[in-house]
Amino acid sequence: MNKDNKKPSLFARLFGNRNKQLSFMEEEQLQSPTRMIVRNFLNNKLGMAGLIVFLCIFLFVMIGPKFFILDLSYQDNTQVNVPPTLSMLSIPEGLEGNVKDITPGTTFGVGVDNDGHLYTWGYTKITEVIDVGNIPEEVKEAHIEQIAAGYDHIAAIDDKGNVYVWGNDRLGQTNLPSDITTAMLMKKNLNFKQLEAGFQFSAALTEDGQLYMWGNQNMADIKVRKEYQGNIEKIALTTYNCVALLKDGTVAYVGLQKNAIADQLPEGLDNIVDIAATGNTVAAVDADGKITVWGNASDGLNVIPEMSAKPVELYGGIKHYTALLENGEVISWGNNFHKQATVPESVVEKDIETVFAGFYQNYAITTTGETETWGLKGYAFGTDNLGRDILTRLVNAGQVTMTVGAIAVIISLVIGIILGGVAGYFGGWVDMIVMRIAEVIGGLPFIPFAMILSAIIGTRISVEQRMYLIMVVLGILSWPGTARLIRAQILSQREQEYVTAAQAMGVREKTIVFKHILPNVLSLILVSATLDFATCMLTESTLSYLGFGIAPPTPTWGNMLNGANNSVVIQQYWWRWVFTAAIFGVCTICINLVGDALRDAVDPKSNGR
Amino acid sequence: MTKYVIKRIGYMIIVFFVVSFLMYSVYNLIPSDPARAELEPLKQTLKPAEYEERYQELRKEYGLDDPIPVRYARWMGLAKDTRTETFHGMLQGYFGFSQVYKKDVAEIIPDRMENTIFINIFSTILALGITIPLGIYCAVHKNGIIDKITQVITIIGYSIPVYIIALIFIWVFAVALGWFPVTGSQTPGSDYVGMQAFLDRLYYISLPVIVMTFGSLGGMTRYVRAAMIEALSQDYIRTARAKGLREKVVIYSHAWRNALLPVITVIIGWFLGIFGGSVIIENTFGLNGMGALYYVGLMNNDFELALSIQMFYIVVSLLGQLAMDLSYGLVDPRVRVDK
Repeated sequence: MNKDNKKPSLFARLFGNRNKQLSFMEEEQLQSPTRMIVRNFLNNKLGMAGLIVFLCIFLFVMIGPKFFILDLSYQDNTQVNVPPTLSMLSIPEGLEGNVKDITPGTTFGVGVDNDGHLYTWGYTKITEVIDVGNIPEEVKEAHIEQIAAGYDHIAAIDDKGNVYVWGNDRLGQTNLPSDITTAMLMKKNLNFKQLEAGFQFSAALTEDGQLYMWGNQNMADIKVRKEYQGNIEKIALTTYNCVALLKDGTVAYVGLQKNAIADQLPEGLDNIVDIAATGNTVAAVDADGKITVWGNASDGLNVIPEMSAKPVELYGGIKHYTALLENGEVISWGNNFHKQATVPESVVEKDIETVFAGFYQNYAITTTGETETWGLKGYAFGTDNLGRDILTRLVNAGQVTMTVGAIAVIISLVIGIILGGVAGYFGGWVDMIVMRIAEVIGGLPFIPFAMILSAIIGTRISVEQRMYLIMVVLGILSWPGTARLIRAQILSQREQEYVTAAQAMGVREKTIVFKHILPNVLSLILVSATLDFATCMLTESTLSYLGFGIAPPTPTWGNMLNGANNSVVIQQYWWRWVFTAAIFGVCTICINLVGDALRDAVDPKSNGR
Repeated sequence: MTKYVIKRIGYMIIVFFVVSFLMYSVYNLIPSDPARAELEPLKQTLKPAEYEERYQELRKEYGLDDPIPVRYARWMGLAKDTRTETFHGMLQGYFGFSQVYKKDVAEIIPDRMENTIFINIFSTILALGITIPLGIYCAVHKNGIIDKITQVITIIGYSIPVYIIALIFIWVFAVALGWFPVTGSQTPGSDYVGMQAFLDRLYYISLPVIVMTFGSLGGMTRYVRAAMIEALSQDYIRTARAKGLREKVVIYSHAWRNALLPVITVIIGWFLGIFGGSVIIENTFGLNGMGALYYVGLMNNDFELALSIQMFYIVVSLLGQLAMDLSYGLVDPRVRVDK
């Protein structure tokens, strides 16, 4: 023994270079099969990259649904086919600090600065041809004082009392009342003090209390009772109706129709200082700060939160209210799906002068002229044909797809291991029957067979049961591969020396199969399970894509792509399929990479020995 | 060999009846009542008691209350039909009546099958023409740069579902570049004849053919490569090389012939897929083939149509297995040994 062979010092043992070249004997000693597989796998760069990306996607879709909560019944026809954008609350530079009026639209915002210039931001396209962002030339030249955005049109009034309407003009949105057109022709200024817009109709109120309404009268109640004319202080528009605050401090429904807003109008409302409306309700605040809400209230609109001071002004979005308090604070309540009822911290700290609320957005102007915003910013991945956020659906769909794939693989593994084990263990006629069944099932055309099962059984069960049905069908149809693998392995392992040794030592057959053979086959099972997982996900998505898998509204990556196969969607609504296809493609590629890398790691031939 | 063939055919026939019986049982889960359907127009004119009596008579006439095996035998054409007193079922070529097309299923299928075969022949030839040389090249130049690139591309090819490949190809080649039509199988309103009609049809099916080819590249290339690598690692290859044979002879004459064994089974299975058609491709591209017909049948609850096509698929797959076994036996003498 020479000096080189003495034990290394403690320091060297702790911090020394462990990657030193080992002698042949040492290297051989260190490697148990499991260790070898792990080491081989870790050395495979492609496989590791696949594993890391897959784990990221996996965590994303498993944790994601906690943050992107899916409401299955949700749909919103004002948010249909919105492309990916987060600019719905981004006020253009020229307008910042110089705001005269802002009106939030469905997916866009329109603002006027103190110099009368008009700005639009967000997604201004209503349909393929109608774009409210196309501001008419005469509007660009005019000095605009007031604006109002409806569902598909914008109305504006300039300093000379001229009224402009653009956007969708097919349902009478631009049919101004004759009084206004005459006045415009005569160059007479009607002195408008308020302009509002609802669903395909608009309303303008003059200083002397005259109310003009025009637009699509099939839907909206745009007639004004004679007795209120000249007596109106302020108006608030719901989706289809108009409610007025009269000069004597009472509130009246100005139209002729019978509906919830008119019928439920509370008695004894007086000393009212401000009114506001959401899509289906109206709210009024009196001089004492008491807020009354009526109409078809949902989302807690009629549950007025506690306020630190007296509310003085009210503003209404489509599903939420915002109130400005005496002390400059702001409170929002109602539907909070787009965070439109969550007033941010930065607003709480500041003194607010006024608020512009509408649809799902709020713009607060501070006393120093700054703008604070909260509400619907936009959709990172756009929305689909029912106005649902694609990102939310994508995350939740991933969870469903992976769960279905995993359970289907587990079912197929259990059946495969049991039947394959039985066939390999017993042999003889049992083997013969099991393998024939496996051959038949493996030979059936998979997709058509799953389709007919899903079509026949699936029509009479609930959506949730149908999901289980798909898992079971996938599992039952995909076990033959696993069974064949297990059987072949058991047959070949039985011939190995270690089994002979175990038999010679008198170990029971059952113990040999489960304690000696199975652990040796485990790595191969893992490989086949990984690859099967990808296959099951693919099959599920293909079935869902064809409409025979998991039924909407439950999202899966497959059924989110259902309906994407026409040129209009592919080209114009690309976001409806690109993101889903991309994440799904990346996911299956990664699983296959991992599976391949595992197979190479398990296969001793690939070690180059 | 004869014994082997007979054994396989006998086995195939048994499987056919078992599977078709299972399918028929599943199909019978659907509530349907032809007796009531026939009586429905008379419901207003008949008295309730009379109606009930007629209804029960009709049920008996149709044999609706017989146990499933009896009805199955009738449907298959193994037993006499209760009404016509003849053998009138699947085996006699009567596949049922399609509710959607208001025609016998047997009348609808030939046209569709022709369409499907037309598309599939092109894609199969293309795919085989590309994958086999590519697979051999990759195996010979294992771990070379082209092999590595091919490995990555083929993994992508077989990981991504074919409908996503179709969407991407439509986007790139039909929508963005405008080279091909998005859907359809001929120019609308055209009345081309002869060569022109053929070229027009070719133009319309080119994108589906490209997608199908691309979709099958991945799996097949990898399969050929694996089989070839296996063959190249054998001792007889070393022997051949040691004898000083030219590399070309070693690869194509010694290795490829042995690699062909596993490949040929896949190829035969593939050729049989020609008749089945692809449900996904045909639906995505709006082609009138078997797959699209099956889809229409299922979507509209036209189960007689769907079941007939399903039976057709089963027959095709069984014939495929038979052909695979037989070809294996023909090519590989080891299999022929009677076990």
